[in-house]
Amino acid sequence: MEADAAGVKTPGLKLTKRPGGDMKFEGTERYYLSPELGEIVNIAIAIEKPLLLMGEAGTGKTQLAFEIVRAFGAKMEEARCKSTFKGEELCYVYDTVLRLNDSRFGSGETGRNVNDIWDYLRFGPIGRAFLAEDRRVLLLDEIDKTDSDTQDNLLDVLEDGSFIIREINHKVAARHKPIIIITSNAKRELSDPFLRRCFCHYIPFPGAEEISVIVRLHFPDISTRLLDACLTEFYRLREQGFEKPPATAELLDWIGAIRSSGAGDPGAGRAVRHIGTLLKRSQDLLKFKGIVQRTQFR
Amino acid sequence: MLSFIQQLREAEIPISLKYVLEFYRGVQQGLAPDVDRLFLLARLIFVKKIEHYDAFERVFGAFFLGRVPRQMPEWEDVFEGKPFEEWLRGQLEQRGILSAEDLRTFDTEELLKLFWETLLKQTEQHHGGDKWIGTGGRSPFGHSGRAGGGIRIYGKGLHGTAQKVIDRRNYINYTEKSTLARDNLGHVLASLKNLKRTGPATELDIDETIARTAKNGGEIELVFARELRDRLKLIVLLDNGGYSMFPYLELVKTVFGKIRDHFKDLKYYYFHNCLYGAVYQDLARRRAIPWEAFISQGSEAHLIIIGDANMGPYELMATNGSLYFHTPDPRPGREWLREVRGAFPASVWLNPIRKEYWSRESTTIYQIARMFPMEDLTLAGIRNAVQILSRARN
Repeated sequence: MEADAAGVKTPGLKLTKRPGGDMKFEGTERYYLSPELGEIVNIAIAIEKPLLLMGEAGTGKTQLAFEIVRAFGAKMEEARCKSTFKGEELCYVYDTVLRLNDSRFGSGETGRNVNDIWDYLRFGPIGRAFLAEDRRVLLLDEIDKTDSDTQDNLLDVLEDGSFIIREINHKVAARHKPIIIITSNAKRELSDPFLRRCFCHYIPFPGAEEISVIVRLHFPDISTRLLDACLTEFYRLREQGFEKPPATAELLDWIGAIRSSGAGDPGAGRAVRHIGTLLKRSQDLLKFKGIVQRTQFR
Repeated sequence: MLSFIQQLREAEIPISLKYVLEFYRGVQQGLAPDVDRLFLLARLIFVKKIEHYDAFERVFGAFFLGRVPRQMPEWEDVFEGKPFEEWLRGQLEQRGILSAEDLRTFDTEELLKLFWETLLKQTEQHHGGDKWIGTGGRSPFGHSGRAGGGIRIYGKGLHGTAQKVIDRRNYINYTEKSTLARDNLGHVLASLKNLKRTGPATELDIDETIARTAKNGGEIELVFARELRDRLKLIVLLDNGGYSMFPYLELVKTVFGKIRDHFKDLKYYYFHNCLYGAVYQDLARRRAIPWEAFISQGSEAHLIIIGDANMGPYELMATNGSLYFHTPDPRPGREWLREVRGAFPASVWLNPIRKEYWSRESTTIYQIARMFPMEDLTLAGIRNAVQILSRARN
């Protein structure tokens, strides 16, 4: 066993270690990577399992994939999931209409051969990641938007890194198993077989210490006094049970707004400055202002 | 190691053989050189759902860190227990750490947090640091105070992750038994969305297109077919009468409000205590929906009744049992409920009272539970309810 697992033995895949000997993986100048998460990424890569990241919006799930791409210098294939996806189109699309059209009117100058189905297959992000000559990072963003049938269609993809082109019964296997990062906002439960094939990690909302690191990445010259005041107010608001509690992105917007307006403090109570950057829902804003809606007695 | 896995199983975490093999492979690859990484590796492999985080952490803590599998008691028990009382007195009298005024301003959670901190500190002293120190500059009991809203701050660095995480019990709100609260709303929603989605979509009917195109003498004619999807209606029937329901009303509405878009049709109706011939459109129960109009939706809609089912037996059983004297129809509540159950094959009753207390609370709960499948308003309960509904429909 290696005492220092910071560099997991996967050739060419290594997150840089900070020279200070600190056990923290280097985020980039705009991203803070918690040590735990860094370790989890390494484990997932070493065992070649897809990594499913769950957690509320604004915890940097999607961003992590981009950071891995940057750290490894790999290329990324990205799939932003929609509820209408069936799963297959992420692997390939068979353009029947185009072929039909070509068979009727001819393919002209395009060089497509109507008799060759391969000319009418277009590969989606998964297909491209599998067929690439290099090891890619494959991001399946917000998988929870798809329904469970879709997730089941992707099982083979996750399990053995392969899919089948049904029309010609051709199996496409990954040349290099991509690093698969999947994100979910837990809008809907994922199917059990899908979960079984992933490493699942729940990213909790960062605590005060982590979040001050994050803020300082974006505003390196922020004064400690302002930062403390903002964070106190921020966590207080988060605990108020708003429908959409402010998250990291809102916090950064807010601090940006306070700074650019030249105010030296965030304001307190109902006089919080630029509240619109923190609370987005009208219900939440009304609640914040202490206006209780009585719509029920119209 | 196998007994660790056995313990995980006993803690009701589903473990497949595949996980065990993966775990061994991971350990062999040297992915778990210390207890922190072992913790992460094991959690990644064995735990797939956030509901199981808490159980996992307890088992891991007991097995690898030699913790007594101390059952973290429920709040109420803590507050009633002797150690807490003694501690509180100690804090108030001797050390002057807490003043009586502080006590009033603190909410229960803060108080509890302070208590645990003291307790853990004592554990540290007693055990002479075999588990608690030497973890790379961790300062376990640092506290950020007011800045950051009383969030506890632990030492940096990877070392101590396991202990840190376990001590915090971050995931207790997500355990299956926890009642509905803001923290776990998202997961409640997740369960509800397992009900099938609705919505029309069109897709190219290739066979038909080719057939028509051939008939047309090669002139392409595209044929689109409607995608087959379930169209789902949901009716939520809320008891908004008794104060027993009051704490849950807003929460329930938030839950269902958020998923409104995902149903073809989502309707709230209100009733008080028991059903007598009408349900109401508004909270004040003035605008009534005719009984027939309500019942007739039964063939295509799912029905969720949310109420404590706690009423005087008289209200349920007796003719003219309604609390409200102007209720025109003399039939007893039981009959009305039975009619609803008959009309809505897919219906379920959610009770905010925890299952354990049903027998203690009221006899009518069981009588109603005999008519409607009844679950409590916890994560597990809602999940069961969703299953009951989807099964009834299929």
